[in-house]
Amino acid sequence: MIAFDRVSKRYATGQTALTNISFELQKGELAFLTGHSGAGKSTLLKLILAMEPISGGRLQINGRDMKSLKARQIPEHRQHIGTVFQDHQLLMDRSVADNIALPLRVSAYGEQEIRRRVRAALDKVGLLSKEKLNPARLSGGEQQRVGIARAIVNRPRIILADEPTGNLDPALSAEIMELFRQFRQIGVCLLIASHDASLIGSLGERVLTLDHGRLVNDSGASSHG
Amino acid sequence: MAKQARNAKYTSLLTNHREDARSSWKRLVAAPVSSLMTVTVIAIALLLPSFLMVLNANLEAVVDSFRQSARITLYLESGVSVESAAEVSNNLLQRDDIVQAEYISQQQALADFSRRSGLDSLLGQFSENPLPAAIVLTPASTNLALVSSLAEELSALPEVDQVQLDADWIRRADALATALTILARGLGAIFLLGVCFIIGNTIKLGVEHRRDEIRVIKLVGGSHSFIARPFLYTGFYLGGLGGITALLLLLALLAAVQGPVAAFAGSDNFQRPGLAALLLLILGGALAGWLSALLASWHHIRQIDP
Ligand SMILES: Nc1ncnc2c1ncn2[C@@H]1O[C@H](COP(=O)(O)OP(=O)(O)OP(=O)(O)O)[C@@H](O)[C@H]1O
Ligand SMILES: [Mg+2]
Repeated sequence: MIAFDRVSKRYATGQTALTNISFELQKGELAFLTGHSGAGKSTLLKLILAMEPISGGRLQINGRDMKSLKARQIPEHRQHIGTVFQDHQLLMDRSVADNIALPLRVSAYGEQEIRRRVRAALDKVGLLSKEKLNPARLSGGEQQRVGIARAIVNRPRIILADEPTGNLDPALSAEIMELFRQFRQIGVCLLIASHDASLIGSLGERVLTLDHGRLVNDSGASSHG
Repeated sequence: MAKQARNAKYTSLLTNHREDARSSWKRLVAAPVSSLMTVTVIAIALLLPSFLMVLNANLEAVVDSFRQSARITLYLESGVSVESAAEVSNNLLQRDDIVQAEYISQQQALADFSRRSGLDSLLGQFSENPLPAAIVLTPASTNLALVSSLAEELSALPEVDQVQLDADWIRRADALATALTILARGLGAIFLLGVCFIIGNTIKLGVEHRRDEIRVIKLVGGSHSFIARPFLYTGFYLGGLGGITALLLLLALLAAVQGPVAAFAGSDNFQRPGLAALLLLILGGALAGWLSALLASWHHIRQIDP
């Protein structure tokens, strides 16, 4: 689903953010992406989302080469990817339910289907009772979970998360990671950036470690050739 | 199954459109003062050229009456008898390019002259009537070239001494009509451009105001057309409302100037704009609004990077 082949990324400013990255992530696989601040975690996720063009190498998402992706194909590409952002990116001028419904609205789902799916997603993250509230009135952890609900509501093939447990307490963090692990069972491919080393270590999942834009360790590399 | 899914997709697309139409309307109503101001400016910009167009149509009537005042006067040789003059006049009337021929005898010419000039005493000094008999023709055409060649042709008639073409008014009328048309069209184009700028700027502010929302929509895969749609509705509403307001103002203004203009035009049928023209004003406004919103949103939404 996600295939990096000697990918590098250099920003227009001349800053090199990623160098020679190669790894693959299959359907139903989960991997953590870790590394120091500025190591290139967010950049790597942005390449997958086509928020930034790659500078070298080859990147394939869902079997499609990102170099051949035209500007007008980007929206459709993103509709197949659910993303949880570092700064949750919720809209404070509308309810929790309307925030979660956004990916469904852009894909032109019917109103009934939207309501059904939004409630299912809210149920998954345990916020069914907060459906009608404004996200500004939720706690940081609750806001993060609304972001997760929005990422999963469209039943994407790929879920990306950038520091999804950034400002949560350990118990809640563990709970959210457990939630992500469940999605793997329905064939979703997940890539989660986090520098919470102790939490990641305790889960025994595949870990990709970046250091100054290089992939220095891939704990799952042997099993995935 | 696939067909059902497609139908559901169309239905929800329609629902989305309805929702966008409604939310754009609500946004306009939510800021009544600024919306009203925008609509008023658009209305004024649409009003001026349309008012000129109506005025132009009414002046056309005046101009036409000027045109019809073109005359060819054939001054007859002094030896031509009244009978042969009448024959010439009758023959001329048979022609398609002449609608009227009026014979003016020497006595009549004298009477007209003295009535118009009041110089009876001067004429009394002549022992003989100095004025020639004449045939005054009204040409069918209002085209200057045709009328001139007609005058040329008639000067060759043996009974005719001199031909006088009184067509200066055609020349002036043509010039006036051309000037008015250029003025109305030119102003129309300039003001329409103004309408486009006003709406484009309103859309630009709207896009900027909703920057965060647009960024998030782009991140979750919203297409350009999905993002632009509510703005297109806004442009359509603003243009359409501007058109309606312009229409009402135009009708009020016309009601006020109707009397004087009709008096000037010398006819009591004041030319009102037809229903089609009024509808065109509204539709044109709405279309201009939609088009400028299309251009503005295309430009400004593209600038927002997720
Ligand atoms: N838009 C940008 N333009 C130029 N350079 C950038 C841009 N975004 C990131 N960088 C640079 O690229 C490098 C990698 O940044 P990135 O945000 O990917 O790191 P990160 O691993 O996500 O860090 P953190 O853990 O702090 O979020 C950094 O050196 C950063 O300064
Ligand atoms: Mg980051």
